[in-house]
Amino acid sequence: MYIIKNALKSIARSKGRNILIGIIIVVIAISSCIALSIKNAADASAAQGLQQLNVTATISVDRQKLMQAAQGQSQADIRTQMQKYEGLSLTDMQKYAGSKYVKSFNYTLTSSMSKSGTLTPFTTTASSPSSTPAPANSNAFAGNRTGADTFRFSAMGEQGDFSVTGASSEAAMPDFVSGTSQVTSGQIFDFTSADYSCIISSDLATFNSIKIGDKITLANPNTSTEIYWFTVVGIYTNSASTQSTNGPRFSASMDPANHIYTSYNSLKSVTTTSASVATVTTDSTTGLSNTTALREQVSGKYVLPDAASLDSFKADASSMGLDPNYTVTSPDVTTYQHSLIPLKNLSDFASTLLLIVILIGGIILIVFNIFNIRERKFEVGVLTAIGMKKGKVAMQFVVELFVVTFISIIIGTSIGAVASVPTANMLLANQITAQQTQSTQQNQNFGRPQQGGNQGGFPGGFNAIAGNNANVSYVDQINAVMDLSILLQLIGLGILLTLLSSAAGVIFALRYEPLKILANRA
Amino acid sequence: MSVLKLENIGYSYDKKTKVLSDVSYEFEKGKIYAIVGKSGAGKTTLLSLISGLTSPHDGKIYFEDKDIAKIDKYNYRSKFVGVIFQSFNLLPHLNAVENVILSMDVAKMKIKNKREYALDILKKVDLDGEKAKRRILKLSGGEQQRVAIARALSYNPDIILADEPTGNLDGVTSEEVISIFRRLANEEDKCIIIVTHSPEVAKAADAVYELTAI
Ligand SMILES: Nc1ncnc2c1ncn2[C@@H]1O[C@H](COP(=O)(O)OP(=O)(O)OP(=O)(O)O)[C@@H](O)[C@H]1O
Ligand SMILES: [Mg+2]
Repeated sequence: MYIIKNALKSIARSKGRNILIGIIIVVIAISSCIALSIKNAADASAAQGLQQLNVTATISVDRQKLMQAAQGQSQADIRTQMQKYEGLSLTDMQKYAGSKYVKSFNYTLTSSMSKSGTLTPFTTTASSPSSTPAPANSNAFAGNRTGADTFRFSAMGEQGDFSVTGASSEAAMPDFVSGTSQVTSGQIFDFTSADYSCIISSDLATFNSIKIGDKITLANPNTSTEIYWFTVVGIYTNSASTQSTNGPRFSASMDPANHIYTSYNSLKSVTTTSASVATVTTDSTTGLSNTTALREQVSGKYVLPDAASLDSFKADASSMGLDPNYTVTSPDVTTYQHSLIPLKNLSDFASTLLLIVILIGGIILIVFNIFNIRERKFEVGVLTAIGMKKGKVAMQFVVELFVVTFISIIIGTSIGAVASVPTANMLLANQITAQQTQSTQQNQNFGRPQQGGNQGGFPGGFNAIAGNNANVSYVDQINAVMDLSILLQLIGLGILLTLLSSAAGVIFALRYEPLKILANRA
Repeated sequence: MSVLKLENIGYSYDKKTKVLSDVSYEFEKGKIYAIVGKSGAGKTTLLSLISGLTSPHDGKIYFEDKDIAKIDKYNYRSKFVGVIFQSFNLLPHLNAVENVILSMDVAKMKIKNKREYALDILKKVDLDGEKAKRRILKLSGGEQQRVAIARALSYNPDIILADEPTGNLDGVTSEEVISIFRRLANEEDKCIIIVTHSPEVAKAADAVYELTAI
């Protein structure tokens, strides 16, 4: 007991020194408070966000890997190589859907079809895009097509005016799940049947004066005589299309207004019919075969229970026999991780700051205590000479420092609690600005696989809209105020600092015999 | 029966020069002993050995028949021996009464009003009123010496070791201090060991041991 009493008296006696120590610790506490708040907020929002995230994954060709492997090969070889790795078939995709890490699986079939009859694609430019079917085998899609440039040439068909999506289930229509798109009149088609019912955008409906129940005709862009009927059962609005700029588009099908949804079964029935009536020709110079059948692209989406399952699913899929040239990716996780970059940067910055502050603060405190102990050497000698145990002498020094530390931590934490959230948000705002600037400058996603352009015959379209990185909304607010865990961490930090900085005194007190200390004084 | 027994004590600060060699003394309760000898003879060294501040290189010291090498020296020093150091060894940043209370605390004395008790002891060595509350450095050498005496007496130890306790005191005060020691020996059965150069003090002792420099 008297140790505490003596410690308090000793603190009161040397006010100046203890106030100085106090100020140092208050500064450490404030910066620790802010740093820990930021760190906790970063961790919490990362964990929380991932938990709320609907994680979906797709399997696609790892084109980057293939191209790397193909380096130095002839174009013909690369072409054959690439053709070997077309997108996975639906059967294959369904096989991997059997993995225990997959919650559900949905898929879409996409095709591109042309106007036929009275139906005109929605466009804001005066000249309606030409959808006059080109001569059957011209394959005239890309303007820059100079033979060798487009090595997937033979697989490409004519680009139509409409992008038609056949969905397996509601989940396969993420725009409708998220609410970006909404059926405003009529109703959604039956996903299980192949009754050729479809929903069209309100823009297209108004443009062509189409009502619910009307039939529309769509043609195979490769052969204009091949016509299919669809019944409009619903009309939807797309808030993304109303926001999008009215600038020129490369083709009408890129306009979300010209996006037609039907069931997978309906569209599959169309493409199957198309394939059965198609004519196949072989180019005499390149030796590549070409068909007039409707182009189709199937893409499957695996819904995973959480972000952690992504890696497990990857491993599972490859053990189930997924070719290493295919890759499992999750745009959700990628996008989400992207949105956390400013917070992560700030968190790293905070950790560094914390480390520096603790290091410098710790060194100052230790040096301070070494001088202090030298001054108090005689006191140690006298106390031990009158029979006070060394442990108790050391204890008194620790208590002295601990009381000062504790009071300072409370003061520092109070200030820090008030200052941390606004300070953190201000720093975060700076980080976001920096990140956005950097993003624009580097356009860092330019060469990434799994973006719109490499999905086969459908440049633009679905993926380009969904994966548009300019729209990443960064986590821009933290609201983690001081909670118990931060307080405990700070107190832990305080104890650590106290022990560290009083170590000099403790070691001194424990090492020397009283007689030596007293003799040295004289 | 002897309360303290030194058996063939030998000691040296460094390995070469011996300070003490083959010292054998016995001390009994209720008596005053004077240890005399030239400066540098090893008197302070002997008191350091008796108080357990250091250990003899040869021989043994017994306190109530227990080898002090085998007992808790801190406990022994805080409760059973009171040392009046030649250079006082008072804490300069504390005042007189705080210095006395500190020793009582360390000895774990269980009395109600330590402060009053401490002031009472200080009064016995003629330090009262404002001087008892003065910081050590603001007291004269003789006053400091009396604080050191009060401190050694405060926790009622069995043995009192005094290194030149009257060195800074005038004749009258010296006599007062000696009479305090005499009363402690006679009435409270304490064993008093005084290192002194003063023939008067030596004369007042029951036995005189002379240390000769080696
Ligand atoms: N800490 C020390 N280290 C080395 N030698 C020491 C130390 N303390 C004392 N001595 C030496 O030991 C010898 C005995 O010293 P001590 O202090 O015991 O003498 P003393 O009899 O008390 O003398 P005085 O009457 O002057 O106080 C002296 O020669 C002294 O120089
Ligand atoms: Mg001496």
